[in-house]
Amino acid sequence: MNTTVDVLNILLPLLYGGLLFLYGRSFFKTASRADRLKTAALAVTVIIHLIYLLLRTILFNHPPITTPFEIMTVIAFCIAAAYLFIEGISKVHGTGLFVLIPAFFFQIISTLLISDLGEVPEILRSNLLGFHVTSALLGYAAIAVGAMYGLLYLMLYHDIKSNHFSVIYKRLPNLEILESMSFRSTLFGFICLSIAIGVGLLWLPIAFGEIFYSDPKLIGSLFIWVLYAVGLVSKRVAGWHGRKIAVLHVSAFIIAIFSITIVNFFFRSFHQFY
Amino acid sequence: MNLLSIGANHRTAPIDIRERLYFSEKELERAYEVLLNKYGFKEAVIVSTCNRTEIYTVTNPFTMRYGDLLNFIKEQKNASDFVKPEYFYRQFASGAANHLFSVASGIDSMIVGDIQILAQIKDAYYYAEQKKTTGFLMNRVFNTAFRVGKRARNETEIGEGAVSISYAAVELASKIFADLSKKRALLIGAGETGELTAKHLKNKGIGELRITNRTRQRSQELADRIGGRVVEFENFIGELKQCDIVISSISSDEHILKAPMLQGIMKQRGSEPLFIIDIGVPRNIDPACNKYESVFLHDIDSLKHIIDRNLEKRKAEIPIIEKIIREELVELFKWYNSLKLNPTISDLRQMFEFIRQAEVEKHINRFNKDDRELLDLVTKRIVNKLLHTPMTTLRTSNGDPQEDTLSHISTIRKLFGLERKD
Repeated sequence: MNTTVDVLNILLPLLYGGLLFLYGRSFFKTASRADRLKTAALAVTVIIHLIYLLLRTILFNHPPITTPFEIMTVIAFCIAAAYLFIEGISKVHGTGLFVLIPAFFFQIISTLLISDLGEVPEILRSNLLGFHVTSALLGYAAIAVGAMYGLLYLMLYHDIKSNHFSVIYKRLPNLEILESMSFRSTLFGFICLSIAIGVGLLWLPIAFGEIFYSDPKLIGSLFIWVLYAVGLVSKRVAGWHGRKIAVLHVSAFIIAIFSITIVNFFFRSFHQFY
Repeated sequence: MNLLSIGANHRTAPIDIRERLYFSEKELERAYEVLLNKYGFKEAVIVSTCNRTEIYTVTNPFTMRYGDLLNFIKEQKNASDFVKPEYFYRQFASGAANHLFSVASGIDSMIVGDIQILAQIKDAYYYAEQKKTTGFLMNRVFNTAFRVGKRARNETEIGEGAVSISYAAVELASKIFADLSKKRALLIGAGETGELTAKHLKNKGIGELRITNRTRQRSQELADRIGGRVVEFENFIGELKQCDIVISSISSDEHILKAPMLQGIMKQRGSEPLFIIDIGVPRNIDPACNKYESVFLHDIDSLKHIIDRNLEKRKAEIPIIEKIIREELVELFKWYNSLKLNPTISDLRQMFEFIRQAEVEKHINRFNKDDRELLDLVTKRIVNKLLHTPMTTLRTSNGDPQEDTLSHISTIRKLFGLERKD
């Protein structure tokens, strides 16, 4: 089984690279064979990735959420699976190239640096923690997809506004669809993050007894949550639409990533297990 | 291949000539009768559109009846006084098929990639079929032309992108809005391009169309013609609060909508996008209106820019389509050449002989050495007798394959799997 996991680990970035090629070819040239193959190839990649994650869980006797590089492959999987779902329900096929780019990079980094954690701290074996991490990863994957759609909105907006009718103008769906996809992904991500924070707060006293409300990672996560909450409320209350919302989704995601990076590298937290 | 064609199109004849050469449906009925009864053509298809009139026939290669076809056109259209031979192109065999395929694919159209032409050729063919003027060869050639047209659209981008001002405006609107049935459009002015744009929006299912013009009567006439609600010209600024798309094509020396006038409207609209198409010359809308975040203002130049880019892209697809045409021509002529009599007789004999030999070899050991020669002889006789009648029927045409013979050859090749040998 070890060999199978190793082979799949090498195979996955190649599969994601292949997907980028197919989606890229289809984006720049319609009526190509890539047009017909890309969705099937994405479904196959998602299934293989799922098998890899399950085999890894069985082999090492813990879900792949114990190191940053295990988490990266889970995020890559979440992005690809979320996009497959979005493509299926929206029938919009022109955005895969952009959405799958982060999945490809997350998987490459994971493949190169992932290691097998033989001994897992007891604290990481809790079911509540599994639920907490899964919803947090789904949440981050969804807000990443939302930000990517926001970015595509801004690119198309710029093309239309400035009479620059590039391939972006030709291939992307219309502004309203991009806005709706960005909003729905972000809303889904926000709900997942809310669940992750809620479950995390439940799990904290069970795991540690003593609660560290001043922990930088906790404050960082709450800050990101508040940022998205304000954005979503402003859409509802102030009637924000279009460019404003797209800018908000993109900038909120950048701030979220920035905040996670700063907290992880510059602060000590009870939330670091490896 | 005895396919002959003659025609005049936008490259060879001016518009007034093309107009006079056009066959209406009523004229077509009589035209086919004359072609068949007076001129003696057995197969003919007349393709007549605003940009071309073409006649495809099957004829004897030794007579090449271009003169007859030209006389037929002159007679049918009373055109002796204005038709000059140089208005017409004449093609034979692969030239005629190649031309038909180019037309069907849209690369021979005035606007490259015109999507209507394939439907027009289909209509012309089905009409001829109904009149029983299509036969074995014409059916194959036209069906190949339909496949070329379909492949051109499926495998290339020849029909992609708007190539008229009105379509470009609608294409742009559909890049901003997801569902036009939930949007309102306001047409300012009763100009031709504005009307066309409004019609295209209607065809795309725009939720509501409001029409305004300085002269109310013209607005009303337009509203009656294309459907819509007339609003007073003096109130059109107020209408902008509720409308999502504005098409302005009024004749005016100064801007009818200036940026400061739009400021209050945009505040009331919040972030709802407003798409303004200014097709007036001089421009009707102050270009400064585009500074508002949710305003998408496009004038005739930006629409022309879209058209030019789309036309360039369509032209870039021509070499791919020419390759498709070459492929289909090769297939067509492979099929046609396979219909020659002697190779078919030879192929059929070879196939029977192959089966005979295989069966004899399989069972030869069951026979005594003395009987083996007899077995060979008897089986050869059986094969010869089986082949006798079909061979005699095929040979009766003797070297000058007529329609029936070609049809027989094609059926035999299909039934006995001889096509696979090609």
